[in-house]
Amino acid sequence: MKTLQITLVLLLALAVSVNGQKRKELKAYYGSQYNVEIQTLGVGNDGTKLFKVWGYAKKAEGAAIEAKRNAISAAIFKGIPAGGGAAPTPALSTDSNAEVTHQAFFDEFFKDGGKYLQFVNLSNDGAAGGADRIKMKKGYKVAVAVSINFVALRKYLEESGVVRKLDAGF
Amino acid sequence: MARFITTQILTKKINNMRKFITTIAIALVAVSLFGQAKKPTIMVVPSDQYCISRGYSMEFDNQGTIITLPDYKKALQTDPNLRLVISKLSGIMADRGFPLKDLEQELKNLATAGAEMSMLESKNTGAGIAESPIDALKRTAKSDIIMDLSFEVKRKGPKNYITFILNGLDAYTSKNVASAAGTGEPSVSAQPEILLEEAVLSYIDEFNGRLMSFFEDAFEKGREVKIRILMFQNMDFDLESEYNDDELSEHIENWMADHAVNGRYNTQDATENFMQFEQVRIPMLNEKGRAVDARGWIRDLQKYLKDDPFMIESKLYMRGLGEAWLILGEK
Repeated sequence: MKTLQITLVLLLALAVSVNGQKRKELKAYYGSQYNVEIQTLGVGNDGTKLFKVWGYAKKAEGAAIEAKRNAISAAIFKGIPAGGGAAPTPALSTDSNAEVTHQAFFDEFFKDGGKYLQFVNLSNDGAAGGADRIKMKKGYKVAVAVSINFVALRKYLEESGVVRKLDAGF
Repeated sequence: MARFITTQILTKKINNMRKFITTIAIALVAVSLFGQAKKPTIMVVPSDQYCISRGYSMEFDNQGTIITLPDYKKALQTDPNLRLVISKLSGIMADRGFPLKDLEQELKNLATAGAEMSMLESKNTGAGIAESPIDALKRTAKSDIIMDLSFEVKRKGPKNYITFILNGLDAYTSKNVASAAGTGEPSVSAQPEILLEEAVLSYIDEFNGRLMSFFEDAFEKGREVKIRILMFQNMDFDLESEYNDDELSEHIENWMADHAVNGRYNTQDATENFMQFEQVRIPMLNEKGRAVDARGWIRDLQKYLKDDPFMIESKLYMRGLGEAWLILGEK
């Protein structure tokens, strides 16, 4: 009987640790800049990209701000998928290690209230509700429809030497 | 304690600033190092399918075989949608540092240049401008990269939608170096012109992304060119003639292997009269930092063959930035 009790306790402990590990992995998954969830809404006006992007934070307002940061991050590092009649847009950076190579630049660019906000033209973060605002166990997952000034962002990154120009070298 | 923390923050800031300055400096050096390569020219050309299916074509009787060719002049003069798309593409490409060669303007220039050349003569003797049949043949609209374009406005019930195909073709290797194609979202209210503009905006970033990969590949592995070795008639040697126990073709292949970037080239075909090399990777810049094209690169082979033990004269013939022929035997 005692052996059975010990076995049960051990199994329970193992289950908890596995679950804990899963949650830890999940957290890392959400925090990763590569895990930006995007849904393209359509073809933006000249020089812009229009899509819906999700952010995670303890408060809904924070999640909306995170979503804007994710929008610019996706345009630089990940690219924007096809959808809503729009073709896919490749990532602005062709260097797969750009965030490490230019860490100082991106730390400054993406800081709270940083220059990245200059390239977010329009967002509906004030009105997120319904399916765009999901209450999770430890916070909110909020979707924001954004229009980013893609051409201006590309030019700024090119001038900063972070992104290669199409005619670089010629 | 507070002073210690302040010092730590300051040190961190200085380190970050140092990293930032170093990064920018490296980027600037990289750009300046590659600052002189020969820039390819790009031109938008409506595809044969686009022109012929809309009647922008002309027919020739070539010894009994009827050949249909696209009539670009007619297409550009009569198709407003085509002009709209070319104009939109030109604006975007100019913004990316590649102002496009305008096909319509190029055709006009060729016509007027031809007329002027036939009228020009020297003041003293009245001599006209020397022009061989080959020179005349070379006076055509051409570019290094062709943006081969076709699109169609289609209907699905009350809705209009666009199918759009844009292929970037390397004029010398005939390789498709960039492409973007697809079908737009159907719309009841939008006019075809708006849908066309939307299609250009939608596909151009994908196209330019692929073009960027092509350029990056060229800078990393060398520009891909095509080289042909030919023989003039009635020479007392051919490509199978032996020099120092090896055939001439073998000497040429050895030279290619030694001079192509990482020895990359492909002998596509060879006989005693010709050799054709494809996927030859030549450096974008030579050791002096000067831009290199196929003609400049193969000139070194011309000099090599002129020397002992070969002592072969040759004519160097250029077919643009990415193709050159070396014709052995005479100038």
